[in-house]
Amino acid sequence: MSIQAITAQEKRALKTDPTQLVLLVAFLLACLYAVLQGGAYRQTQVEMTTSFTEAQIERNTAWRDRLVAVETGTTAPEDDRWAGLAMDVSFPATITPGPLSDLSQGVSDVKPAASRVSLWRSVDRLFGNYQIQSPIDTAAGAFDLAFVVIFIMPLMMIALSYDVLSEDRELGRLGLILSQPISVRQLVTTRLKVRFGAVATILLLSLLVSLLPGLGGDDFATRVPFLAVWLLVAGAYFLLWAAVIVWAISLNLKGETTALLLAGLWIVNGLVGPASLSAAAESLYPTPSRLAFLSEAREASAEAYKSQADIMQGMLLDHPDLTAENYSIPEYIRTSFLVTRTVDEAVVPVLQRFDDVQAERRQFLSALQYASPAVLTLQSLNLAAGTDLNRHVAFERSVRNFKQAVAEAVEVKVLAGERLSLADYDGLPRFRHQEPSIGGILGQVGLPVGFLIVVAILLGAIALNNLGRLQNRIRES
Amino acid sequence: MIKAIIWKELLQYRRDGRVMSVLLITLALGFAAAVNGWSTVETLQRERQSAVQSDRDTWDNQGKKNPHTAAHFSRYAFQPTSNLAVFDPGLKDFMGSAIWLEAHYRDPATLRAVEDAVEIQRFARLTPAWILQVFAPLLAILLAFAGIAAERERGTLRQVMSSGVSPQHLFVGKAIAALCIIALLAPSVIAAVALAANTQDEMGLPGAGLRLAGIVLAYAIYIGAFTFAAIGISARVAKSKTALVILVGFWAASVVFIPRLATDVGSTLSPAPEATDFEARLSSESSSPFWGSSEAAQQRRADIETEVLAQYGVDNIADLPINYDGYLLQESEEFANGVFDRMYDELWGAYEDQADIVRLFSLVSPTLALSNISSALAGSDMQAHRHFADSAELFRRDFVRILNEEMIENGGEDGYGYMSDNDFWQQNPDFDYQPPTAGDVLSNVWADILILLAWAFLAYQLASRSVRFSFKQEAMA
Repeated sequence: MSIQAITAQEKRALKTDPTQLVLLVAFLLACLYAVLQGGAYRQTQVEMTTSFTEAQIERNTAWRDRLVAVETGTTAPEDDRWAGLAMDVSFPATITPGPLSDLSQGVSDVKPAASRVSLWRSVDRLFGNYQIQSPIDTAAGAFDLAFVVIFIMPLMMIALSYDVLSEDRELGRLGLILSQPISVRQLVTTRLKVRFGAVATILLLSLLVSLLPGLGGDDFATRVPFLAVWLLVAGAYFLLWAAVIVWAISLNLKGETTALLLAGLWIVNGLVGPASLSAAAESLYPTPSRLAFLSEAREASAEAYKSQADIMQGMLLDHPDLTAENYSIPEYIRTSFLVTRTVDEAVVPVLQRFDDVQAERRQFLSALQYASPAVLTLQSLNLAAGTDLNRHVAFERSVRNFKQAVAEAVEVKVLAGERLSLADYDGLPRFRHQEPSIGGILGQVGLPVGFLIVVAILLGAIALNNLGRLQNRIRES
Repeated sequence: MIKAIIWKELLQYRRDGRVMSVLLITLALGFAAAVNGWSTVETLQRERQSAVQSDRDTWDNQGKKNPHTAAHFSRYAFQPTSNLAVFDPGLKDFMGSAIWLEAHYRDPATLRAVEDAVEIQRFARLTPAWILQVFAPLLAILLAFAGIAAERERGTLRQVMSSGVSPQHLFVGKAIAALCIIALLAPSVIAAVALAANTQDEMGLPGAGLRLAGIVLAYAIYIGAFTFAAIGISARVAKSKTALVILVGFWAASVVFIPRLATDVGSTLSPAPEATDFEARLSSESSSPFWGSSEAAQQRRADIETEVLAQYGVDNIADLPINYDGYLLQESEEFANGVFDRMYDELWGAYEDQADIVRLFSLVSPTLALSNISSALAGSDMQAHRHFADSAELFRRDFVRILNEEMIENGGEDGYGYMSDNDFWQQNPDFDYQPPTAGDVLSNVWADILILLAWAFLAYQLASRSVRFSFKQEAMA
């Protein structure tokens, strides 16, 4: 039996063997479902961000038009005393849906994606009531392609191949096969190439489907580089599992024991590892209490309200030029500004502590992710997809900084009770979130991907060596 | 005879390194999960008590303030954590723990623990419930997959039959032996219960003993179902290897894949409203039709004015013996409450439809049915959260009404300039949450209980009939 004959036989089996057929069709359906579902999810995200931004722009345009009307004399200043009110400036701040949020949902479903940055809100209240997602849905996580790659793909590979050698041995036909001009190594690798090839083909086809217009989004050119990185990570994980399976087969155990060994590795990798790492990260780096934070913010707000006269006095001492006699807008406006600023000053350090703990946890997990390839792969896939925790935490921080930048820019006008000029308004900062570059992402996933590939190569080499020795043993016997 | 079978099986298990390894690992994970759960609940309870106290203190000492200004600052309702959450935190991390009880608006619960969690948390959570839901069935499979098939492969089944063992005796003996081994996981459960008992009973969960008994019984039925199914499959297929692959495949589907798929399908078929849209609608529909400048809104306010003037027999607002601004505020609350009821009913309705769809999937995954029962009895499921949120909303309405009445009755001509002081704030009530009874909880999960029982019954039938079938096959061979 030649290599070509084995390849042909394997290809035929893929189409005719009911078990293999069922497994591959199930995998195909899982991949397609994940891609279609992910596409719908990203589409919703894009629509939400777009409609939110458009609504805010419309609102701001109306606000600006009133100011234009006053400046051009269309409206008399006394007829619209609120036009150009500095305290009322607000801007939309949104995070663009991750370029591949359809493939790896990551934390994008639980983190805020939009904010109307207004000076009336303190920094702890910048994000509206976004916590209305279904808790059932949130708890389970998404059935996205990352989930399929990390969990289902290895299990499919195991189910298709665990008995690639043991079945022939148990049926007593291994000797007969090996009496042909073919080695054990060739037999195993040829069979696995076909079986794993089928899995890889389905995965690649699904990724191609995700690029179809209208599915993951129309920003094809933007998505492709990220998709290349995503594919690199998924490919490295695929190679690792292929090597693990070949290694397990090369141990020449009973089919049942091989299946148990591989299932055990799958469980440790996908369940025990993540559960232990997650618990360890959260125990070693506990988040400061959100409830205590809330109490601090409320107390700061109440205290600021109570001592607003002192705050105002302090402001007038700092800015004697602002004691404009013709101050014509209600006093509560600048009081609110000062109270909000006082609350901001109190809560910003606490929010920074939250960010610091998140950073420490991420650092901890970055170091320990190598203990669980599933964790490592998930984090890398999310990074490539733009749905990682780091990006979302950075967005929240940017929004807070932006609010403070706007507050500083209009402070004098608010305190003086003066109207903003059109030039002032147009010169105010607009929100821009600094996105990580593709090079930066590649740099971050480089080490994890390299690790997966190196382990795969080492395991593969050991496995091929084992198969060589097995060949010798069979010959000797 | 059964006793002899049990002893023989137990001896065999003791010698099987694989079984002992999985048992010890599961036990260790179970203990770690118990300590982790206890630590989390203990921290949550401590933080909540502190937040409740701080909220009261801040409220009591806010100084002179208009009651309506105070209603905007308002108070918070903090969700208590049940002791049984040490065992099963359910959806607790995915639902907010604090609800702002402000005037004019019904806020969703905020401060979800998941927002501070690491990215991998939704892969796997180290809780005693999760350990039992995931690993106990795996242990059952490991113990029983070879139960009958291996006897047949080794040729010992014929010997067993010739010694007069009936199919029923063999099945019962093997099942009891496997369950005895699984029962060795009990110390980790007992540890969780003991640690739960060691936490403060801040929620005062009614029927806690009954709930705990229900949880134990549900898990026993679940584990029994998997054990029977494993014996049944082992008896039905020709090889133990095939039994193992089928059972591990079923386990992976039931425990890992279907829960994600089910919730994903649920949220697709019954999507929850999009957050920014929901917030905007809630805000606008509860406010504009009352306070807006539309003809309908003006008419609504005019009608109220006419009604009040008629009620007090005066012609002008200035002649009213009450503060009309306060009265109008309370009327606006009554109007908004209807909108909140309608929109939150829609929201909860979408969640519940999702839960119903997920429940349908429990027909193919007993883990889903068990998970629903377990978290419901532990007081950490979605219904428990809804009960809390609805109770908090009722309190909010009462609380805001008290503040409005203060302005109505004492505001006089000062209206928004009227100030209440600490004496008044200190008389205001606290939110005293009363959780639902065990009977209410059971009425929510009766379908899940039936499904779990059906699973156990079918698995028992499968095992019982399959063992008889295997005896017949062996006799005919």
